[in-house]
Amino acid sequence: MTNYLCLLAAAVAFAGAAATGTGAAHYTQAPGSGSLTFSFTQAGAENRGSFREFATDLTYDANNPAAGSLKVTVQVASLDTRDKDRDDTLAGADLFDVKKYPTATYVANAFAKTADGRLEAIGKLTLRGVTRDLRIPLNLRVAGSGYELSGEVTVKRLDYGVGQGDWQATDMAGNEVKLQYKVPLARSN
Amino acid sequence: MSVRNTTRSWGSLSKALHWIIVLLIINQWVIGMRADSLPLGLAKLQALAWHKSFGITILALAVVRLAWRWMNPVPDLSAETRPWERVLAKISHLLLYALIFALPLTGWLMSSAKNYPVSWFGLVQLPDLVAPGEALFQQMRGLHHKLFAALVAVAGLHIAGALKHHFIDRNDVLKRMLPFGGVK
Repeated sequence: MTNYLCLLAAAVAFAGAAATGTGAAHYTQAPGSGSLTFSFTQAGAENRGSFREFATDLTYDANNPAAGSLKVTVQVASLDTRDKDRDDTLAGADLFDVKKYPTATYVANAFAKTADGRLEAIGKLTLRGVTRDLRIPLNLRVAGSGYELSGEVTVKRLDYGVGQGDWQATDMAGNEVKLQYKVPLARSN
Repeated sequence: MSVRNTTRSWGSLSKALHWIIVLLIINQWVIGMRADSLPLGLAKLQALAWHKSFGITILALAVVRLAWRWMNPVPDLSAETRPWERVLAKISHLLLYALIFALPLTGWLMSSAKNYPVSWFGLVQLPDLVAPGEALFQQMRGLHHKLFAALVAVAGLHIAGALKHHFIDRNDVLKRMLPFGGVK
């Protein structure tokens, strides 16, 4: 009887897996690997920085890309522009407010192909407590047991409230921020 | 007054370059002190943006000035100028030329080391000269300030020399560099 129940449970689990796409596999980023950089116009010049700590989880089936999912969690306080004054200012209440909003997340539960055949995640970015729809390009290149995920997307910082008070002005610190990511993802199951 | 220099007087381009650079340097001192005194914020970024833009302008004008000096005669010092005065004038002019190159270049190095790239009036972004590094930034900052102190000292000597020529020796050396003065 016990064996029969186990078998039944396994069968149900299998059927469930089949319904969501049997070929889907899970991929994760090794801690400390990958890069997530941002660039923005500061006083007329392109300035660059990066987030040192972030985690990426991808579920993907090359035969059924639409069923993929992606979750990225960024430790906002890990931002680094190679200048402590600027990092502290960015972390402060008027900009990222990392004390109140320590993480930013991107969650997508569906992928889609664009008209020209490129893969995009259809998800939501939560930054500084504001959640907005955001599609991001997913360039997946087979690498080792998994993929290298790369792409870039431009977001408007003021859409997420990154810039209160004086920082709502965009002449010294532009509204558009380009995010570039390149993350090795290894198969985890 | 001709555009070109003669052996007796400076031409209009040499005079314009001399006085525009003087005004820009005074302006740089005012903006630089202001930028230095402000906490990081929009006002400081604005002041730094102006300081960098004018600094690069001075560097470009210094290049034009040096090229123009090579392409033109340099007016003679008056015949009665003593040898030690000639040597002192030569050294101070050499230093002033070196400083109008060295100050913008160390400023540019500061920007690169701090990872705050230089934009010229928001129109052109200049390449970074070095990779970012806090230690290098602090070195360049110290050097930039020392070079400015040197500029003030040498410019003081330069002004003292010009005034001596004018009021004590009563020759044309100062007059021939004045914007609308000069000698035939």
